[in-house]
Amino acid sequence: MLDQILCIDDDPITLMLCKKVIIRSSFSNEIITSQNGEEALNFFNTIKYTNNKTNPITQPQLIFLDLNMPVMGGWEFLDYFNSTEFEEFNTIKVVVLTSTIDPEDLEKSKKYPMVIDFLSKPISQSMLEYLKDKLK
Amino acid sequence: MKSKTNQVIIIYILISMFVAIVIHKLLLQYISNENLPFFTFTKDLLFVLFTGLIFKLILSKNDNRNVAIFEKLKNTNDEIKESNEKYNIVAKATSDTIWDWKIQEDSFSWNKGIESVFGYKEKDVDDNSNWWFDKIHPEDSIKMSIRLYSFIEQKTENWQDQYRFRCADNSYKYVLDRGFLLKDDTGKAVRMIGAIQDITKQKEEEQRLKLLETVITQSKDSIIITEADSSDAKIPNIIYVNPAFSIMSGYEAVEIIGKSPDLFNSPNSDSNELKKLLAAIKNKEECLIETISYTKNKEEYCVRLSMIPIYNLDNELSHWISIQRDITDEKKQEREKEQLIRELTQNNKDLKQFSYITSHNLRAPLSNLIGLLNLVEDIPIENQELQEILSGFNKSTHLLNDTINDLVKVIVIKDNPSIKKEEVFIKKIFENVFSQLNFQIELHKPIIKLDFEKVAIININKAYIESILLNLLTNSIKYKSENRKLKITITTHEIDDTVVLIFKDNGIGIDLVRNRDKVFGLYQRFHNYPDSKGLGLYLVKSQVETMGGTIEIESEVNKGTTFTLTFKNRQ
Repeated sequence: MLDQILCIDDDPITLMLCKKVIIRSSFSNEIITSQNGEEALNFFNTIKYTNNKTNPITQPQLIFLDLNMPVMGGWEFLDYFNSTEFEEFNTIKVVVLTSTIDPEDLEKSKKYPMVIDFLSKPISQSMLEYLKDKLK
Repeated sequence: MKSKTNQVIIIYILISMFVAIVIHKLLLQYISNENLPFFTFTKDLLFVLFTGLIFKLILSKNDNRNVAIFEKLKNTNDEIKESNEKYNIVAKATSDTIWDWKIQEDSFSWNKGIESVFGYKEKDVDDNSNWWFDKIHPEDSIKMSIRLYSFIEQKTENWQDQYRFRCADNSYKYVLDRGFLLKDDTGKAVRMIGAIQDITKQKEEEQRLKLLETVITQSKDSIIITEADSSDAKIPNIIYVNPAFSIMSGYEAVEIIGKSPDLFNSPNSDSNELKKLLAAIKNKEECLIETISYTKNKEEYCVRLSMIPIYNLDNELSHWISIQRDITDEKKQEREKEQLIRELTQNNKDLKQFSYITSHNLRAPLSNLIGLLNLVEDIPIENQELQEILSGFNKSTHLLNDTINDLVKVIVIKDNPSIKKEEVFIKKIFENVFSQLNFQIELHKPIIKLDFEKVAIININKAYIESILLNLLTNSIKYKSENRKLKITITTHEIDDTVVLIFKDNGIGIDLVRNRDKVFGLYQRFHNYPDSKGLGLYLVKSQVETMGGTIEIESEVNKGTTFTLTFKNRQ
């Protein structure tokens, strides 16, 4: 079981669904959410600049990332997250979880080293079983 | 000669008599009778001597004159002989047919040409002018005889005429006839001599050239002929333009002959194309360019022009021929077409984007619904009515999901014209398909006959063929006849370079008379089944065609349906 997961999605129902399915399949202890890429980046910045304190903030081990979001979409988030600025988080894996079917998106996602999979919504228990196997 | 002799004798007699009388008179005065015989004798001697001397004088004078006359005659004779010989040589050497017409007697004679040129034997030729007139082509004879008689009557100076002359084999030859008149002392025409030249070849050549010329004069393309050489790196000067050029450019021929076509250049002429043209002229090479030219009124037109070097028999450049066509309209249409293509491409791109976005926006809330329904499945529900509602909700949501997934597939296929093909075992594909349809197969237990002995491997896209066969098989099961057991036969065989897969069932069929053109259409449904979306066959056809194959259908209502899929078995 993972300790912490970050779900980035603008749709509150999707986030609610994620939480429920993840809890049911005991995929992770803790689930945190962001509404868009920018919010997520702010979250990582907070971790980065408060890390010198005695008890460090736990980092998420996996990110579920939607692509189409207002303010900052998934691609832009990945571009920032992939840059040297967020180097210290480069062990965090990303799963793109989207409802797009554009084959170009799938190809594009392969260019980012941290993206380990490109999955179609909705999140399901079988999907999480599959990911568990993959992360072993 | 005789009169001369008489003259001489008369003169002699007269002189002799005169001398005799003079001597007689003198004797009567001076001499007496006794000396008579002696004097008479002396007188006679003197007489004979004197007259003899005179006679000799006359004769020798006459003789001299005769020698002179003889010399003159001889010379004349030689001249005539020579002239005759010359005539014979010329008559033999010339290919002309010469005729000689004594007009008053109407006696007509021909030289050998009448046989060698026109094929008439000597016996066929009559010696009068009618025979000649008779051989002239009826269409030419009146005009010709009017001119001829006006010449004979000396109303005109020269006579030469062209007409058609009938040969012995009844064909006609074009001839040029030239003649002159011989007149008597009174100036009356007595004889006419003519020479007929066979100009059939020239005439035919002339007609051929005229015909060829019409190509240039009647052509809708402009044609320009220029000199071979140019000065100052210009296009060589024009020596001919055809009427089409005048229409195209507005310049009359006289205005531009002797000038360089450079004057047609407009400020918008394509300088690269002109450079190409000048380089080709320098290298004496053929070239084709497109540029913009000015008409005389400085209106621009697009022109496609070729310059072709023309070489003479000595292989020297003699002229350039330029063929030009006004392509203003063509260019305009081309631009409009390009514009249209650009717009359509953009539209298509927009639509594709639109369909991805739409599908995404549809799928996003739909996936939530499915995810939520998945969660509900694990929660026990006491309320019977709520259970029913949720069940209906579930069914509808999944049907909507299927539809959207099918549509998504269509979009992806249409957007993906080239796909990866691989060697696929057909039997393996069927195993996959059957396992996916396991439930339905178990339920209906159809008789399925597979025969892949002839062709076991197809070069195809695995996912597509799986989807195709899944669709066809699902259709067969869905539209099976209620009255008989479903029987499906699937066979493959090879025709030339293609693999043919035949999929046959004994289901309820489709009325092809009514629906043939709609069978493979989008959202076409032929049976009122609740879970039919009218997408399956459209999808099948799209997938077959994306792989470069074809699909055909044969069907009879209540007998069954046969699909014939043909694939190229090579890359």
